[in-house]
Amino acid sequence: MKRRNFIKGICAASAVAATITPSVLLAKDAPKGGNVLSYDAAVAAITGGKAVADSTKVSLTVPEIAENGAVVPVKVNVESPMTDADHVKAIHVLTTKNGNARCADVMLTPMNGKGYFATRVKLGGTQDVVALVEMSDGSFLRAAKPVKVTIGGCG
Amino acid sequence: MAEARKSMIKIKPKKFKVGDTVKVDFIVIHPMDTGLKKNKKTGKIKPAHFIDNITFSLDGKPFTTMKVWETVSTNPYFSVNLKVPGKGKITVDYTDNTGEKNSKSKKLKPKG
Repeated sequence: MKRRNFIKGICAASAVAATITPSVLLAKDAPKGGNVLSYDAAVAAITGGKAVADSTKVSLTVPEIAENGAVVPVKVNVESPMTDADHVKAIHVLTTKNGNARCADVMLTPMNGKGYFATRVKLGGTQDVVALVEMSDGSFLRAAKPVKVTIGGCG
Repeated sequence: MAEARKSMIKIKPKKFKVGDTVKVDFIVIHPMDTGLKKNKKTGKIKPAHFIDNITFSLDGKPFTTMKVWETVSTNPYFSVNLKVPGKGKITVDYTDNTGEKNSKSKKLKPKG
C-alpha cells in the first residue's frame, strides 16, 4: 500500500469515528426511566388551565445560594384559618428547570391546623423554586423564589 | 416483604396540649435514585427508585396525603402540621415506585 492511500484511509476512518461517537454517547446519556415533565406542562396539569395569582399569603423559604444542589431545604407557609369552609387544599412544590418539574404534591385537610409543609429537594442548576397552592374555593396562589446552585444535584 | 427501612417520626415541640398545633416530621432512609446517575463501580445506570406515595394518618384517618417524585433529596424529610384533637396514634404509610410498602407509627400523648 502506498503511503498516501494509507494516510487517506486513516483520515476517513477517524472522520467516520468522530461523527459516529457523539451520537452513540448521546444515546447512552439520554435519561432512562426518569420522568420528564417541563414546568409549563406541570402547571397545566395541576391547574387545568385556571388562572394563577401571585400572592403574599404564600411565603416560601429557600436559601438564596445553595452550595449543594442535592439538598435544598424548602419551606412553604400559607396563611389560612384552616376551617372546613376555608382551608388549604394542596401545596405543590415545583422547580422551573429540573428534568421533572414536580417535586411534591401535598394534600392537606382542616385537621392540619396550619398550611405548612417542609421538605428537601434536588436542584439540577440555578433556577426558581415555585410553590403552587390550591385553596378550598378552587383558586390557585403562587410564590416563587430563585435559588443559586453552585453544584447541581440531579445527575 | 421488602426489607424494613429505617424511618423516624418526630413531634415538635415535645410537650404539647390538646388543641395545640404541632409539627410532625417524618424522615426515612431511602436512596431516591433518579434513574440518571451511574454506579461508579460497574458503570451501569442505576434504575430510578424513589418514594412516590405517603399517607399521614391519625387513628386510621388520613390527614395528609402526598405524591412525591424523584426530585426530592436522598433520605427525604417531610414536615406537616397537626392540630392535636386528643390522644391517638400517628401512622405514616409510604410506598415506592418498585412497589415496596412500609409504615411507621408513633403515639400522640398530649399533656393537660
